[in-house]
Amino acid sequence: MALSVDELKAKIVEKAEKSPKPQLYIKDFYACDPDAKPRQIKNVANELVREGKLMFWSSGSTTMYAAPHRIQNEEKKK
Amino acid sequence: MAKHETPLLDQLEGGPWPSFVSDLKAQAETKPEVWDILGQLELSYKDRITHWKHGGIVGVFGYGGGIVGRYSDVPEQFPGVEHFHTIRVAQPASKYYSTENLRKLCDLWEKHGSGVTNMHGSTGDIILLGTRTENLEPFFWDLTHEMGQDLGGSGSNLRSPACCLGLSRCEWSCYDTQDACYHLTLHYQDEIHRPAFPYKFKFKFSGCANDCVAAIARADVSVIGTWKDKIRIDQAAVKEYIAGNYPSNGGSHAGRDWGPFDIKKEVLDLCPTECMWMEGDELKIDDAECTRCMHCINVMPRALRPGAEQGATILVGAKAPILEGAQMSTLMVPFMKVSKDNEYEELIDFIEKIWDWWMEVGKNRERVGESMQRVGLPTFIKVMDLEPIPQMIKEPRCNPYVFWAEEEVEGGFERDIDEFRARHAA
Ligand code: HEM
Ligand code: HEM
Ligand code: SF4
Ligand code: SF4
Repeated sequence: MALSVDELKAKIVEKAEKSPKPQLYIKDFYACDPDAKPRQIKNVANELVREGKLMFWSSGSTTMYAAPHRIQNEEKKK
Repeated sequence: MAKHETPLLDQLEGGPWPSFVSDLKAQAETKPEVWDILGQLELSYKDRITHWKHGGIVGVFGYGGGIVGRYSDVPEQFPGVEHFHTIRVAQPASKYYSTENLRKLCDLWEKHGSGVTNMHGSTGDIILLGTRTENLEPFFWDLTHEMGQDLGGSGSNLRSPACCLGLSRCEWSCYDTQDACYHLTLHYQDEIHRPAFPYKFKFKFSGCANDCVAAIARADVSVIGTWKDKIRIDQAAVKEYIAGNYPSNGGSHAGRDWGPFDIKKEVLDLCPTECMWMEGDELKIDDAECTRCMHCINVMPRALRPGAEQGATILVGAKAPILEGAQMSTLMVPFMKVSKDNEYEELIDFIEKIWDWWMEVGKNRERVGESMQRVGLPTFIKVMDLEPIPQMIKEPRCNPYVFWAEEEVEGGFERDIDEFRARHAA
């Protein structure tokens, strides 16, 4: 990992905020630190979910990540 | 919630078989929201399209799996199924329950959900169908605190591992499937409860090639018991089978008169590698050719047993038809010791080697079997540091070309172009 955990967290959150797609696959975050192992990126992304900075969206078969205010929430849009 | 007219569904109650329509009607007497499942399904039959919306953000705190969000797209008509989330609950190894546990599970689900269950889902876990978002945390609290049970996997997580009955009831089991399954389930709690991969990942454990959990058809890593040495033969018992004194297949085809037992027709001729023959009244097996399929052992269980040096074959890459159709796992390691003595170290190393590669190379929503297909078996074999063996392929090659990698060619592919062109003009 070239970045510190905090730097990586900031980059992941930035990507989730700014990417044209509101919901991202874990692989979409790999570019945030090309030197990090996929498993490290995954662990940091999951930590961000625990901190409330990202949320999971799941179809049941796949899981995606998004910033809370950008996520598709079935219960909000009426 | 009122009853709906369901003439199309009602037809499904007409046959001689059990009907989910009748079951749901019975359940609706105590859980009126179940009328709305029937109503919405009837509408789907009429409209010829599903009225379930796919997916959502629901879950319980700290977990990224185990709950699958489902909503109706016609909630005004069917308020009872406006939210109808599915919960996956990890099943006990080999699905052994006490009646007390089953009763408690059912009571818990009557309390927090629709009471409708599916025992079990295709992955293997307990499926509880239908609850509202606000019930999820209370349900989870009771499940974990009162029953000491946990959610299973969903989404891009490791899915709940599953195993056959193994040593608990089956003399053919070549390793302790239940212990392996339980150990790996505990070892990979993080991967089960939180997404980790480009897509779902499953492992399943069968004690022998009869593969009672269908590991070869369903699991990304199929661990199937086998033996390295020779099939153990009791020649005296072979004679008893031939004389008709022992029922073949443990008596399981006794419902009809199949005529006298014919060892040639029922065993020797059905051996897929044709490696069995009789010498007088002695049964012979060329064990080097035996593919460990279990057929002869299934037919004459009192005469034949798996060998004594036991372990498992590891296969990789099964999947159901999402992209490119259904696919069975491909053999990767013909024999691996699968033992609790070293905490399944070899198997765990193997699994993590796949993960390290697939997390990097696998595309979004691509099962590892599809990644293997995309890069080709030779590449995957190299990634796994394995030597190619004939058992890894389905059939002899029909492509006459031989491709060499540079490191396989003495002197490599480097050459002096100028020197070459001096002799052969372009
Ligand atoms: C080491 C030298 C050569 C190699 C490795 C080589 C290799 C090949 C290969 C692999 C094919 C395809 C075979 C097939 O699919 O049926 C082929 C076809 C052909 N080669 Fe060569 N070749 C060489 C030299 C030559 C030379 C010197 C000539 C002509 C002077 C030539 C003319 C042809 C022709 C006309 C075909 C087409 C034959 C057909 O379509 O039936 N090749 N060659
Ligand atoms: C625009 C012009 C050309 C086109 C589009 C064309 C296309 C093709 C195609 C599609 C094949 C079959 C490849 C395969 O089996 O996978 C082929 C084979 C072949 N062509 Fe052409 N070709 C062209 C010009 C030529 C010329 C000018 C020559 C000879 C001077 C030639 C000689 C051959 C030969 C010998 C083969 C057989 C090679 C083999 O069997 O592997 N082609 N060509
Ligand atoms: S897979 Fe083999 S060992 Fe396991 S229960 Fe079935 S027959 Fe027995
Ligand atoms: S296990 Fe299968 S392959 Fe081996 S001898 Fe018996 S029938 Fe033949």
